[in-house]
Amino acid sequence: MTAAGAQLQRERQRRETLKTRLYIGGVGFFAFIWMLPVVWTIVTSVRSQEALMRNLASLIPHPFTLDNWEVILTSSLLWKWLGNSLVVSTTHTLAQLTVCSLAAYAFARLDFYFRRPLYLLVLIGLMVPFEATFLPVYLLFANLNLHNTLIALILPGIASSFAVFLMTQFFRGIPLELEEAAMMDGAGRFRIFLTIIVPLSTPVITALAIFTFLGNWNSYLWPIISATSSEVYTIVIGLRKITQAWGDVNFYGRDMAAAIFTALPIIIFFFVFQRRIISGIAINSGIK
Amino acid sequence: MSNFRLGNLFEIVLGFFEIFAPVLAPYRRLHEKLPPKLQQTVTAFAFILPFAIMYAIFTILPIFQTFYISLHKWEIMGTNIRFIGLKNFERLLTRDTQFHQAFETTVLFVLLSFPIIFVGLCFAMMLNRPVKGIGVFRTIFYLPNIMAVTVIGLIWARVFASSGRGLINAFLENLGLDIIPWLDRADLAVLVVAFTTLWWTVGFSMLIFLAGLQDIPQSLYDAAKVDGANSLGRFRHITVPGLRRPFAFLCVLQVIASFQIFGQVDVMTGGGPAGNTRTIVYNIWEVTFQYFQVGYGTAMAVIMFGVLLVISIFQLSLFRDQGVGS
Repeated sequence: MTAAGAQLQRERQRRETLKTRLYIGGVGFFAFIWMLPVVWTIVTSVRSQEALMRNLASLIPHPFTLDNWEVILTSSLLWKWLGNSLVVSTTHTLAQLTVCSLAAYAFARLDFYFRRPLYLLVLIGLMVPFEATFLPVYLLFANLNLHNTLIALILPGIASSFAVFLMTQFFRGIPLELEEAAMMDGAGRFRIFLTIIVPLSTPVITALAIFTFLGNWNSYLWPIISATSSEVYTIVIGLRKITQAWGDVNFYGRDMAAAIFTALPIIIFFFVFQRRIISGIAINSGIK
Repeated sequence: MSNFRLGNLFEIVLGFFEIFAPVLAPYRRLHEKLPPKLQQTVTAFAFILPFAIMYAIFTILPIFQTFYISLHKWEIMGTNIRFIGLKNFERLLTRDTQFHQAFETTVLFVLLSFPIIFVGLCFAMMLNRPVKGIGVFRTIFYLPNIMAVTVIGLIWARVFASSGRGLINAFLENLGLDIIPWLDRADLAVLVVAFTTLWWTVGFSMLIFLAGLQDIPQSLYDAAKVDGANSLGRFRHITVPGLRRPFAFLCVLQVIASFQIFGQVDVMTGGGPAGNTRTIVYNIWEVTFQYFQVGYGTAMAVIMFGVLLVISIFQLSLFRDQGVGS
């Protein structure tokens, strides 16, 4: 390559990096504008009451104070609600995975009477919105004296048609030979399910677990109906009630600290499972 | 590696259950005498049983109960239950202007949710470049989507608060401008809720489109470039047809989700001003749990179920097109 050619090459490369930098800068600026309310939320949570009364629309956390955070972090109710959420969502997710994967194995691998009509019955559940069932479910828990318990928050939705559908599809794709070899060794169906099918299905099971957990954690309609005493609020409902109670405009700092407190566990959850969440969206939406 | 460990763990757990083997032996022998298909049926029912019980209690039976209750005048404490046939539906469809308004509002929200898909496409196009660090931006735009509705609703309710105590109005006041009563004006309140929904969920559309874009073979673009197609032509003739599937998927999903809007309205406006942001689900919730007219609220749920059923059938046919149906 001649010196002039190398010069040209360098020139082109320089222009390319400049373009990339401009592009990143542009996107970065837009992202900042898009997320401005979040920045404002964070800043507001560390500004004092007087400062907020003086000027609400400021992004400068000066004078800096942690008073709002002290109120939030010493509130035993918020911690209790966080605990409720953790218990409810974790139990719900584990139970759903267990119950649905067992059913999915039968539908995927066993040849039994009524298989097709039963599977159809399961698929019908995909079309039933929660609004079509929540009132009888509410009355059921009320009659059993289970209104305002964590159990009432955990149980509905465990038998998820979608989870069965998704896992049945996945189990069907696992080569039969693996099972047949185990069967030769005298392994029963349950053993095959646990030691062959489940370990080979970790991608779909983790994706399902993540989105079941998120969905249950963020659910709003059922908890607001089913949990009417502050003892059993989930953190999502608790935030709503607590900011409503403080409601008047005087407590923006506290409200925003409470909002961040509520969001933080899920943000941590997101960064732990980031890769699986991003790849799981395609799996979970049945589009891949 | 981790798969092996999981399998081994289960192996150990199963080992513990071996102690029940002598107890179960007679049953097992009986089971083995059955013809193969009957054998599998017994096994299958055992596998399905836990699911079947929960499914029956929390999905199948409640559907029938919902229909049953909707034919009654039914107050929540179980008092004053009276069969009234289709009177609830008659009142709903012919006289209940509040329900009609809620229905219209919901349809409006459904229509206002379509921009989410297009903005999502814009974001996907914007971020579909193999540049280092682009993942950070994808994360930023997606992150709101996994937040609870109360967090999102609280933030945006404070941003748009009507008095000078909202972020935007405080800013306008600082500039010496008139404040805008965002959440106190019917048309603006609807737009604010719709915008909040967009901000909240656009990241999902974006990721679906990004996945779709990455499925379009680069060779198609290269070939079009060779043929002299400009970037607009490439977008129209390669990108748009290539994204048809994610687009259809998002449309159906968006319609179903928007029909069920509840959280944003409850957190941000409480259905106001003057019931202008009251949606169907909000109306059901209000009638059932605030006015305790259970039968009447359930009749609304039945109508909503019918509407969603029609939409879901579209969705199922979509799944079938992709060859994942049974």
